[in-house]
Formats: sequence, structure tokens, C-alpha cells
Amino acid sequence: MMDERELRRSFEQLREADRDHVPGFAQISERARAQRRLRVPTRLRPLVIGAAAAVAILSFFQARGRSFTPAVATPAITTWRAPTDVFLTAPGIELLGSMPTLGASVLDTMIPTPSKRGT
Amino acid sequence: MKSVPMPLILEAANAEVRAMDDVELRRQLERVHADCFGWAMACCGRDRDDAEEVLQTVYLTVLDGHARYDGRSSFRTWLFGVIRRTAASRRRTAWLRGLLLERNGERMRPEAPAPTDAKVESDSRSLTLRNALAHLAARQQQVLHLVFYQDLTVDEAAAVMGTSVGSARTHYARGKARLATLLGDARDL
Repeated sequence: MMDERELRRSFEQLREADRDHVPGFAQISERARAQRRLRVPTRLRPLVIGAAAAVAILSFFQARGRSFTPAVATPAITTWRAPTDVFLTAPGIELLGSMPTLGASVLDTMIPTPSKRGT
Repeated sequence: MKSVPMPLILEAANAEVRAMDDVELRRQLERVHADCFGWAMACCGRDRDDAEEVLQTVYLTVLDGHARYDGRSSFRTWLFGVIRRTAASRRRTAWLRGLLLERNGERMRPEAPAPTDAKVESDSRSLTLRNALAHLAARQQQVLHLVFYQDLTVDEAAAVMGTSVGSARTHYARGKARLATLLGDARDL
């Protein structure tokens, strides 16, 4: 087992060996200075974070809006026709489109009367 | 309360004091630089690149005034504490990053760094000591480094390590006994 004096000597040797490889103070502090230049000042940090968040939110909504935009232009409501309107066209539909007269037959509208035929 | 605008002459004087502080701080850092590097190496598992990064961050923190020396201990002891905390924080970050990389697959794992400090490693006695130290618990390694390498007292080492003096003494006694045994065994081989 080693005694304390030998232990201390071993550590001294390690320290001496390390001393030969210590990077210069100027080198480390220059790197620190360069890092400082790249760093955003503390008081500007909330602004930078806020701006980044705003950009992220805007681009999210923009992307979302774009995905819901239809490919063709939207027609005006006055000209628009429902695509299922064709199913409403059935034989005799004109009977439902006019007001019936009291005492008359529905056939009168379909069969021309003799007086009308004579004129 | 309304703030009174500072007279121009006072502002200039304050700037001068700050500049002087900065110069004095740099001088102090330069004086203990070699010791700091040795301690940073010990805190970073003897990884030279990590030690340099830690030291760089520490200098930046100190020079920017994010860590202030309050005079309660010696400047060197205080600075060693800052280095220990910075290295621990860096280790945690690296660990988290390692977890993420592991989750994202082996492809993203960075290549292992090339072995550094080759000349020191060639020194067999230093290598034996380093190997023996690697077998000790982290706290034991730290206290032995601070006492034997940096010539601090156990009380000062406790302040650097952020533990009680009693705990530091225990680590010191156990670490020293174990290290002496390990080195003795290595010598007998």
C-alpha cells in the first residue's frame, strides 16, 4: 500500500504532465469572447423569442388556411345551382309549379279546350 | 417614483469602474488558468475538449457577470465551484442529448472523438494514477484531486464540491485508502 507522500508525488507528476498541455488563457478567452458576440443580449431575448413564436403561429395558420382553400373560384350565390337539382325534374312537375283553379280539372291545362282549338 | 437621470460624469465613472473590474477579473482568471484547466479536466473525466468547452463557458459566465465573486472564499475556490457546476450541467445536457440520439437511431450518433492528450497518456505513472482514480466514486475522485492536485484543504474542497465538511472528510478518507491500495497493487504487479 502507498503512503500519503507517494500519493502526493504521483499527483504532482500528473499536474506537471498536465501543465505542458494547458491551452493558453488568451485562446480560451478569445473563444469565449467570440461566443459572447454570437449570443443574443439578455434584454433582447424576450423580443427574439416573441418574434420567433409569432412567425411560427403565422406560418401555422397560413399553412392551415391554404389547405382549406378550394382549387376553383367560388361562384356567386345568385348563379349557383345545386348539383342535385336534376333529381327534382320529374314528369308532371309543371302541375306543381302553377296555382290550380277552383272547379277545373288538372287535365284542362294539359288538353286544349275546343273553343281554343277553333281559334 | 420617478427615476432621476444619471449625470453624464457619473455614468462615465461607472463605466470606468466596470472596465477596471473587467481588467482585474481577466488578470485573476489568467493567474489561476492552469489550475482551472486541471480541475476542469477532472470534472470532465479527463476529456480535453470537454474541459476546454467548460472553461470557455465559465469565463464567459464570469466576465458577463452572471456568476459574481462575493468574497466569502478565495477567488480560486469560488471559481472551482463554478467550474464544477458548469461541468455537471454540461454532463446532464450531454446525457439528455444522448438519450434523444439513441431514440432517433444509431445513424445520428456522432463519431467517437479521437483520443486526445496522447503524450500525457504515454506517461506510465500518470496513466496508472488516472486508471486508479477511474475506479473511485466521483466524489472521492473530486476530493482527492482538490486536496492532492490543487493543494486545497478538505474544508475548501467541501466548499468547492458543495457538500458538508463531514461528508468531504469521509470521501477523502475512503478515497485515499482505496487509491493507495489500487496504486500499491499496480506497483506490485
